Amino acid sequence: MKSLKAILATILSLIIVFPIAYSLSASFFSWADFTAIPARLLPSQPTFENYIRAFRETNLEQFLLNSLITASLGMMLRMTISITAAYTFTFFNFKGRDILFILIVATMLLPSDTLLLANYTTIRALRLTDTYLGIISTSLLAPAHIFMLRQYFKTVSGEYREAAIIEGCSDTRFLTLLLIPISKAVVVTLAIHSFSTIFNDYLWPLLVTNKASMRTIQVGLTMLGFSENFDYGPQFAAITVLMTPVLVAFILMHKPIQESVSTRFTGR
Amino acid sequence: MNRHWKHSLKPYLLILPALFLAGLFAYRPFVITLLNSLYTVSINGQRIAFVGLDNFRRLFVNESFQTSLSNTLRFTLYFVPVNVFICLSAALLSHREGKLATLNQICFFLPMAVGLSSAMMILKMIFNPFIGIVNQLLGISVEWFNNPNAAMALLVIAGVYLDIGIKFLLLHAALRNIPANLVEVATLEGANPLQLFKYLQLPLIAPTLVFVLATNIKDAMLISSPVLILTEGGPFRSTQTLVYQMYLEGFKSGNYAMGSAIATVVFFLTFLLLLALLQIERRRVYYQ
Amino acid sequence: MKRLFSVMIILISLTTVLFAAGQREIKPDPVRTVTWWHPNSGLAGQATQAMVQAFNSTVGVEKNIRVEAVYQGKANDVLTKAKAILQSDSRRDLPDLAQLDGAAVLDIRDVDALIPMEDLALSDGYDLDAILEAARLSVTYKDKMIAMPFNSSTILLYYNKTAFDQGGIARAPRTLDELAVTAQALVQKDARGNVIRSGFANVPTTYELIAWLGQQNHLSYITDQENGHAGNPTRVLFHENGTMVNFLTKWKALYDTGALENLTSDRNGAFASGRTAMIVASTSNLTTILSMVGDRFEVGVANFPMVDEHATGGVNVGGGAIWAFDNGSGNRDAAWEFVKFASSGEQQLAWHIATGYFPIHRDTYSLPAFEEHIAKNPLFKVAIDQLMQSNPQLQGIWVPSAYQIYYAFQTGILKMLTENRSPEETSRALEAEINGYFAEYLRMQGQ
Repeated sequence: MKSLKAILATILSLIIVFPIAYSLSASFFSWADFTAIPARLLPSQPTFENYIRAFRETNLEQFLLNSLITASLGMMLRMTISITAAYTFTFFNFKGRDILFILIVATMLLPSDTLLLANYTTIRALRLTDTYLGIISTSLLAPAHIFMLRQYFKTVSGEYREAAIIEGCSDTRFLTLLLIPISKAVVVTLAIHSFSTIFNDYLWPLLVTNKASMRTIQVGLTMLGFSENFDYGPQFAAITVLMTPVLVAFILMHKPIQESVSTRFTGR
Repeated sequence: MNRHWKHSLKPYLLILPALFLAGLFAYRPFVITLLNSLYTVSINGQRIAFVGLDNFRRLFVNESFQTSLSNTLRFTLYFVPVNVFICLSAALLSHREGKLATLNQICFFLPMAVGLSSAMMILKMIFNPFIGIVNQLLGISVEWFNNPNAAMALLVIAGVYLDIGIKFLLLHAALRNIPANLVEVATLEGANPLQLFKYLQLPLIAPTLVFVLATNIKDAMLISSPVLILTEGGPFRSTQTLVYQMYLEGFKSGNYAMGSAIATVVFFLTFLLLLALLQIERRRVYYQ
Repeated sequence: MKRLFSVMIILISLTTVLFAAGQREIKPDPVRTVTWWHPNSGLAGQATQAMVQAFNSTVGVEKNIRVEAVYQGKANDVLTKAKAILQSDSRRDLPDLAQLDGAAVLDIRDVDALIPMEDLALSDGYDLDAILEAARLSVTYKDKMIAMPFNSSTILLYYNKTAFDQGGIARAPRTLDELAVTAQALVQKDARGNVIRSGFANVPTTYELIAWLGQQNHLSYITDQENGHAGNPTRVLFHENGTMVNFLTKWKALYDTGALENLTSDRNGAFASGRTAMIVASTSNLTTILSMVGDRFEVGVANFPMVDEHATGGVNVGGGAIWAFDNGSGNRDAAWEFVKFASSGEQQLAWHIATGYFPIHRDTYSLPAFEEHIAKNPLFKVAIDQLMQSNPQLQGIWVPSAYQIYYAFQTGILKMLTENRSPEETSRALEAEINGYFAEYLRMQGQ
């Protein structure tokens, strides 16, 4: 039984990994390799030309920079807002607390894709198109994260905090020096998730940026419009450049990643 | 007195950013979208005249919309079970000890490292009917982009690929959270793997499974970026989904009223489906 | 508490700084920089770069102008970007020049920020007759030339000449009836009876229908208001003037022979791989198709097939044009210099050789280099001859919801073929659907 499982698992995992492996190989294809019939798995004569072209013919570094800046900035702001809010809802008692909490978390039910048009007009009116702030604006509120963080913070006893305050510890210190370190796994997971959500966003940055200099990598990739005549090489080179650091990071950190996804968030 | 004021104001100030964002980017646009769907809206976004449900009336008789609706519902119907099956299988099959198992697991969440547009472009290339590697390797000649059924299947494949990374991690974690001693006891009592799954694992990972189902339904109803990059609604509108049509009407044609009407329909449909899911969950949990 | 606040303030200031940094820096420039947004990629993209460099190093140096060509994605993407800026009333973000195609016209032609090309040309004493009439009319609105034709193309029939020779077919089909016969002869099946090569692969696109409908009876209008060139179209005419029914009848007959494959995507790939023996495609694809086919077989091109013997209107000029915008930078004249350069006899020749788009300036045709090129590459001549034989009044349609209309045609025609509907029924359904889109558009204008 175990070996059957192993065989099936390996087959499935090979299928899943195939597109990634293929794109790595394809980044070294020449144009003839792409249009070859029958289609090829490996390049006939590996060439670095695609990589050179990808960077020379487009503004790839700028796109990448834009994505990194927006994702990092967005992640930091989002985590700050989420953690602060979750902290407040957990440890403070104020009028309307529960209603306000529901109000914020209920926005989970309003998928941002259905609000695209209206949000776009808002950003336009605020003159935030083609700005980093405009790109990350709709990703700053993470109701699911606030909910999860509050669930987690609730497990920390309120008396713990009271004791700390009596000892003269301010809220900030409690939060940063005690609470967050305890919740490291959760915070790291949510931070990674925030980063990749903003990094991978396609439709919103597409709508909100017009200038080539402000494009994010996801949008920029699809505009390496070489596919008109099957000139896929530079596209695959760009994809590989983009993928490799993340792939390597994932493979090296697979243990912490797997362990950080705890089912406390989903209910058990 | 001053200190007291400051003290009681503090929590409100701390949650102000979150509230502000919720209002600006969730509630306000929601109300505007609803309003726009009830008005005639100019090409610049100005509401011109109140028309009540007239936009919806015109929308529902529009053949293109009916196609979008059918496509989106069908996609949800195909995608959700297929995705859950594949992700759950991946989690269950690699739920063993050993280096090979670890390798399998890494492969399963690796797609998370591939961004959306990268994944879509890779798929677009490898599924090309004439020069793509998939048809070549499988020895078939399926017209992935020209046959409506094949295109829909391709969309499902794309959806699964985008989602498997995170869903595998969640299900994998859920399986690992099942106390080992329970599994030991069950196996000692002579339970075979199928029984183990049905009576022990499934109930204990049910909450995670519900979460997976809920997000899958939501993602399926709202699917748009893969359509934009892979198929552009083709062939013959067979992969045109609701949100994609909303994008066409709202952004390409500048028809905000129609776009908002579609958005409203999508929102309510998704809401209803999720509500149905919650009802089912409540009932099953009760009978447990 | 204080710490928390100060951390938040630091983060917010960081945001503002980056927000400011993300905006375009406006540097005072002695050299006038003309921005040109375009959708040219691949071979056309390279030709674009070459043209811009040629300008910058000659006229540019003389007159202190520098052209900056910015690739903005597909033609549709260039329009989307431009529209977004126009709607947000921030003119200074507009490019000086933008290359747009027919689908963009409706959104651009009435905006205040548009500078009609005719005005720029006439103030420089430019002779508008030097431009091919058909090309000039393709960008004429209410009798004024509002843009400069640039990447002009027409449609051609591409065929596998090697297959023709093998099948003993002497010449390319001229009409749809002949096409049906020829296609049948070219179908190849394998041992199990599966089609491995179809005779002809196509589902009519809007571009093709403009020719197939418009060429009937030497000239037929598809919509009112002269196909939108005289004002906003209010209804389609193709049903009442019978051109659609006529075309659909022929098309259905073609499909019934079994030689037609309903292929909507990647027709170039299908043709180049030998999967189909004939396709219709733009002249701008010629260079690409030739390099894709390589030496697999010999490629032939012929005139776009006529619907019937009375459909003598020929073909219309499609492709794109360059439009000029007033963005407050005072670059009008500089922009015009580049447009003049790009549309000149020599540059159009270079552009033509590199891409297959045909030259829009009369002077090109009398250049010795042109004659040489044509002699060596007779395939390129076919498109040009075809255009010269066409009725210049046959023009493209300027309609709203171009995307949706494209799908309406394709879906409607497919339904007719696969669900056995009548041409009459299909034509009427298309009329109703497209009129619906026109009505929506007029409603949005407040009419």
